[in-house]
Amino acid sequence: MVRAPLYVAIGIMLATSTMARTKESPPLPPPYQGVYQPIGVDEIGRWREDDERERILTASPMLIRDETLTNYIKSVLCASVGEDRCDSVRIYVVREPIFNASMTANGTMRVFTGLLLRVRNEAELSAILGHEFGHFEQRHTLNHFKKYRTGTDLLAWGSVLAAMAASLEARQNYQNLELAVYGDLYRYGRDQEREADFLGIAYLNRSQLRPQAASRVWQNVMAEAEASAQVRGLKRPNFSAIAFAASHPPSAERADYLAELADPAGEGRDDGAARYKEMLEPWLPMLLDDQIKLNDFGASEFILENLAEDGWTAPLLFARGELYRRRGNPRDLVFAAEFYSSAVMMDETHSEAHRGLGLTRYKLGQVAAGQSALQRYLELAPEASDASMIRLMLPKKEEE
Amino acid sequence: MRNRFIRHMAISAAIAISIVAAEASAHKLREAGAAVEVADSNVLVTPTRDWNRVSGRIGKNVETWTLDGTQLNDVTFFAGIAVGNPLVKERSKKHEPLPKFTKDTLLIEIPELLEGTYRPYKRLATFEIRNVEPTEFLGHDGILFAYRYSDRDGLTKLGEASASIIGGKLYMITYDAPRIYYFERSLEDFRTLLRSARLS
Repeated sequence: MVRAPLYVAIGIMLATSTMARTKESPPLPPPYQGVYQPIGVDEIGRWREDDERERILTASPMLIRDETLTNYIKSVLCASVGEDRCDSVRIYVVREPIFNASMTANGTMRVFTGLLLRVRNEAELSAILGHEFGHFEQRHTLNHFKKYRTGTDLLAWGSVLAAMAASLEARQNYQNLELAVYGDLYRYGRDQEREADFLGIAYLNRSQLRPQAASRVWQNVMAEAEASAQVRGLKRPNFSAIAFAASHPPSAERADYLAELADPAGEGRDDGAARYKEMLEPWLPMLLDDQIKLNDFGASEFILENLAEDGWTAPLLFARGELYRRRGNPRDLVFAAEFYSSAVMMDETHSEAHRGLGLTRYKLGQVAAGQSALQRYLELAPEASDASMIRLMLPKKEEE
Repeated sequence: MRNRFIRHMAISAAIAISIVAAEASAHKLREAGAAVEVADSNVLVTPTRDWNRVSGRIGKNVETWTLDGTQLNDVTFFAGIAVGNPLVKERSKKHEPLPKFTKDTLLIEIPELLEGTYRPYKRLATFEIRNVEPTEFLGHDGILFAYRYSDRDGLTKLGEASASIIGGKLYMITYDAPRIYYFERSLEDFRTLLRSARLS
């Protein structure tokens, strides 16, 4: 009798592990009927905490309060998960240059600006949003909390019993139990991520967007990590290994099963790249600026090259110039000057590009050329915060 | 088993005592009126009110002073950062490198250097350089700039800094405090301290 739950658990584990190998994405849960209310003390408590965090979030200086952007992201989520489901979610765009999005039990979805910079079309964005929505729909945070409580309860009792037994063996058994429980909790978390991935791709398969994009997201994540490591002189990251405390399945595994689960019939569908590009355009300079200042040359260069797939534009070239000037090796400065020059050739009114060009030329010893670029910068942006400092770099006679 | 338990207790007690001892000597008073060298360098300041020097350095030739704790007011002296070095000690040279002060760094690029250091080091999402002006600092041509950022707690902070490049080394004094109440309150104390700075 005692073993029955164990068999059930093994059965569930086998079911989830084989799910990855089948080519069918799982069926979707039934849509919501009316407004969902939390049930039971755990869920009510969880929602209450999340409500409080959401209140804090709404006042956060990191929040991007732009209705058009938020509505657009919401529409992408709705296009993926369906209108009946998406109304239970509130989207918040958080200014943080990392590849991430998160979802809480009460329906708060945080979308980080680093994610917006890295995905290149609506299909890729909705793959991530759908994954987060999957967590929400399956009540993952609540279940994880319960699982964690059971595990830590077990350990608490185990430690009491081990202390009572007062033998080395009891102590060792307790340590083994600790490893087993924590290992199980981490694995549980990873399985939840897999389940959310499967649901995410299931939504995408049923939408009008191209489901093959989901796998592409993870391929890009791996390529970026590799580019970053290469420039920093680090070992190539291992994308298949699962660390003991890993919160997510490895990227290679995710890319593989998402590619396998994507509906081949959806290959020809639109991925919404043009619409996405148009939405991102006004935000691009800020997002790029935040990324470049992270001092991760390899990753920033990878992102820029990716964005410039259809050709370099003035904002992209300017950002690339900034990236190279900030690293500042003599060879970088030569390239930086080239990128800034191309940027001002495309957009002569790009004041910041004139500034970058001026400073770079100055540093390269081309003082006169540098000064003329800085002069142009001041003409275009006479009220710039550093205008008085720049004026000092100009020849004296021009000042008088 | 009992011996093991006693040994455990003894080790825990030793750790606890060392932590308490470290706490006790955490800060050193910098008394009003006494000229002191900061960060083992040739920069001398004469405070006109009592300050606390925070023990534990975030970098070579870097020293932090505070009135009420570094979260509420933080004056950091960067006293002679040599070429090729970052402003503060990198948490990981390989994984989290910080921008370096180079021999080509222009005076006007110092705000960018501070920004490029703060963003990854303090894991900031926003940092805005607000006002950049020429100034005289430590008897040399320098740069005075103001900035604003939101830290990980969502707290908006304001900052003011003066810097100069003297003999190929970077000298800078920064003041960071929460925008609400604290920045204004201690700004004059900071400026007085800043004006007292000189090279010995």
